[in-house]
Amino acid sequence: MYRKILTLAAGAVALAAASLATSPAMAAGKNICVSWKTFQEERWKTDEAAIKAVVEAAGNKYFSADAQGSAAKQQADIEGLITQGCNVILVVAFDSDAILPAFQAAADAGVKMISYDVLVEHPDALYVTFDNVGVGRLMASTMLEKGRQDGNFAFIKGDKGDPNATFLFQGIMEVLKPNIDAGKIKNVCETFTDGWKPDAAQKNMEQCLTSVNNKVDAVISENDGMAGGVVAALEAQGLAGTVPVTGQDGDKAALNRVALGTQLVSVWKDSRVLGKAAAEFANMIADGKANSDIPGVGKFNSGAKGVEVNAVLIAPNPITKANLNDVIDGGWVTKEEVCAGVAAGTVDACK
Amino acid sequence: MAAIDNTQNPGMAQEGTLKRFLRATEIDSRMLGMLGALLAIWAGFDLASAFVRGGDGLLGGTFLTPRNLWILLVQTSSIAVMTTGMVLIIVMRHIDLSVGSVLGFTAVCIGTMQVYWLGPALGVGHPAIWIITLILGLALGAAIGALHGTLIAYFGIPSFIVTLGGLIVWRGAAWSVIRGETVAPMDKNFKLIGGGISGITPGSIGATASWILGLLICAAILALIWNGRQQRKRFNFTLKPVWAEVLLAAAGCAAVIGITWVLNAYYWPKGVVDRWAQQTGATIPPEGLNISFGYSIPVLIALFVGVAMTFVANRTRFGRYIYAIGGNPEAAELAGINTKKITLMVFSLMGMLAAISASISSARLDSATNALGQFDELYVIAAAVIGGTSLAGGLGTIYGAMLGALVMQSLQSGMTLLNFESATKDMVVGCVLVFAVFVDQVYQRRVK
Amino acid sequence: MTTHHHGHKHPTGVLRSGPPLIAMTDISIAFGGIKAVDHASVDLYPGEVVGLLGHNGAGKSTLIKILSGAYKRDHGDIFINGEKVEISNPRDAKALGIETIYQTLALADNVDAAANLYLGRELRTSWGTLDDVAMEAECRKVMGRLNPNFRRFKEPVKALSGGQRQSVAIARAIHFNARILIMDEPTAALGPQETAQVGELIKQLKAEGIGIFLISHDIHDVFDLADRVTVMKNGRVVGTARTTDVDHDEVLGMIIAGKCPPGAVPGPGALQSPAAAA
Repeated sequence: MYRKILTLAAGAVALAAASLATSPAMAAGKNICVSWKTFQEERWKTDEAAIKAVVEAAGNKYFSADAQGSAAKQQADIEGLITQGCNVILVVAFDSDAILPAFQAAADAGVKMISYDVLVEHPDALYVTFDNVGVGRLMASTMLEKGRQDGNFAFIKGDKGDPNATFLFQGIMEVLKPNIDAGKIKNVCETFTDGWKPDAAQKNMEQCLTSVNNKVDAVISENDGMAGGVVAALEAQGLAGTVPVTGQDGDKAALNRVALGTQLVSVWKDSRVLGKAAAEFANMIADGKANSDIPGVGKFNSGAKGVEVNAVLIAPNPITKANLNDVIDGGWVTKEEVCAGVAAGTVDACK
Repeated sequence: MAAIDNTQNPGMAQEGTLKRFLRATEIDSRMLGMLGALLAIWAGFDLASAFVRGGDGLLGGTFLTPRNLWILLVQTSSIAVMTTGMVLIIVMRHIDLSVGSVLGFTAVCIGTMQVYWLGPALGVGHPAIWIITLILGLALGAAIGALHGTLIAYFGIPSFIVTLGGLIVWRGAAWSVIRGETVAPMDKNFKLIGGGISGITPGSIGATASWILGLLICAAILALIWNGRQQRKRFNFTLKPVWAEVLLAAAGCAAVIGITWVLNAYYWPKGVVDRWAQQTGATIPPEGLNISFGYSIPVLIALFVGVAMTFVANRTRFGRYIYAIGGNPEAAELAGINTKKITLMVFSLMGMLAAISASISSARLDSATNALGQFDELYVIAAAVIGGTSLAGGLGTIYGAMLGALVMQSLQSGMTLLNFESATKDMVVGCVLVFAVFVDQVYQRRVK
Repeated sequence: MTTHHHGHKHPTGVLRSGPPLIAMTDISIAFGGIKAVDHASVDLYPGEVVGLLGHNGAGKSTLIKILSGAYKRDHGDIFINGEKVEISNPRDAKALGIETIYQTLALADNVDAAANLYLGRELRTSWGTLDDVAMEAECRKVMGRLNPNFRRFKEPVKALSGGQRQSVAIARAIHFNARILIMDEPTAALGPQETAQVGELIKQLKAEGIGIFLISHDIHDVFDLADRVTVMKNGRVVGTARTTDVDHDEVLGMIIAGKCPPGAVPGPGALQSPAAAA
């Protein structure tokens, strides 16, 4: 009785503070809450829809708070969510260091935490994200399976200041190394691209083609935007469509290129898959499952501080001509967008 | 009269041959120096690439090949167009930091109009699309520039602040128009503005048209020199020595013919020729088919902008007032010049040039992204400064700035060709900027 | 408070025929509460040189900038040939035939003599483009009159000597048929020979019927060239006198102490004469 009054009161306070429509304390079932870093960005709305659907399907309640791009507000949000009686809180951290005290407060209050997409190095929190090193591996393995296994390879890397550009390259090289060592693959150009800019990638690719007199057999581009610049450079030499190009992000323009055949693959990190998985884990944890018992869980300690956390790394989906239906059926893009300018009968997904 | 001239310049008697040559031909010795530096850079890269890999360039490398020079000019065109406006802005003692962001914003607006509005409305590839979007794009750029100019001229906010704000605002605006997505593909006719190949239609004018154009430019050079001579005769002014006029005409024509020849020596790549043959049903002889690219459309746009802006700067009141304001704003005001209006017009012109560059860049990339043109403001300002524009105002030439842009792009392209790390490239370009200004100042001091 | 209108007995004692070329009456202007010019009145007749004297900050340059359109007055009227005129910017002044040679010369240093001569009034070809050759030809003509040794037509004026720059500034003022010429410290940057040249020029212009305001803090210059002097102090007119009616010391007294000698007509800025006080 005493406790109920307390939570009711806390809920009332939080109601005012976080402007929630209903208080979690009123809810039947378990309360799954999300603290977003900012809702200004389009993509999080996609994640939210996926999470909400899974949470509510399990009879649990979904609540959220938007930190509006402020580390201080996010900390207050999480404290509010704790007092409101959330069982599990998913956090997309705005500042992964500044948020640590809030994670500790949650741990102290017995609330379970999931760091979603952005790593927060707290030992009690479960980390759910895409396998970013795996993206590089996937690009390379798709190239080997569906593109080229040998010949002259050009590598268009991302911005030199972004650690992701290097992580990706490590993953790529892991897969390609046997063929490079065997002399089958020759690295003819390798260059970083300022700010991941497509126009810079185009210039780099033009210079690469000039330097080897067009003798390039495959291009590993680290994302879709740069792949656009690469394809423009290849097209000027009449090579687009004959030289396979990789990318990632599932950009509409890139998926269109995949359908047109000028790009081999766009590794797609479907945020709905991530949201769905994280929400399922949240449901399990709310029902009392330990982090270490989550299906697919492993240990992850590659963060800046080297703290070991339980983590589930979701495999991204390499989209090629063969599985373009995945993006269309998933509602990520429309068939018209993917199939613009595609000759009838050349791509199954465009029929 | 010549005797009096000598008394005013006592050093003239001891002048060297070079100085006498420069005085007779009235060639800007600074430009000559920059041309020399450019040729040295080109030769250096060709030699260096000869050691790395070898190729069929003039000195055995891959730099001095028709193909690389053709691409180099295309890569320079976007910055070159913008730097012609930046010169006038810096001459007026202002600065425009927003050009890269304005480029990005107008590019995504042009892209959005083509892909999401006019494409579906008129049918993809409708011949009116490119012209409508180009005109609206230029108007948008000019309007943004006019807004900056109004804030600077009539509200008295320093141009550094207004355009620093613009740098941030228009980049954000570019993001919000397309929510960070890439708009692609651009209209197939519009794409030619970028110089690329749209299907089997190249964004360049081919061999015959290039030769005709080259000869026309030659004729124009001769006409200009002839007209200048007639004008001076009209008022009985002293004339340049005939040998100097002939030499200038010959050098100008030789340069034009040479450039035309080089651009015509870059042929369609095999893949494009095959596609062309396939689609037109032409047969390719066994030894292959050489179809010349010739002058590309973005390079022609840059040349046209360069000539037009030089005309504006040197032959119109507007241009004269820009330089007068840069030399002494108070004097210009007291001479009855409406300095505010001129400021507004110059910034508006700059915005329009940024929109032209936006068209070139997005057409070349065949897509518009919100990152397009990022950091371009720095390259545009650097090109103007390397080209001899003084940040103190009053001094600067259009052709110098365009040459500066070519020097910078040559450095970047050459280093990429040699597979330099991008960190090294950044450091070299930065050092060259500072070094160029240093050399220029030493030169200025010695002239005085 | 007396203001001098045409038709009244002239301060110099000579009754002139017709209205003055310029009459500025009761002019005031303040900058941030400080009265730079305080109810000042001056006039100028055709073919006359009037020297405006005073310390730095006495208000003479400010008064003259109101006439040339650089400043807009707070109070007072300007008459040309007896007609009230409105001057609110330099273009208005030029349209009325008022040309100014500023103390700072006001030249665009980075362009050549011809471009400065025609700044704001460029000659154009029938195509609407600048006719540089025609401007250079005209410039050679007018400079040939002012400074026959001048040859550096192709160089930016910043490369010229002080005297050469001065001749460009003067050329610009007289080339467009000025009726009224304002010269603000015209000899400040010049050597003795060039100063003499300017003196000759002023006499020549005077003979052509041009009225000249000559501003200077060097009373020797002014005495040689001016028909009358008007002395200002602290923004107010101390008095006006014909140069034949006063001597150097009396004028110095006006400048330094604001003391108006018997040969001068006192203005609102004059000290109360000791006789009147007693």
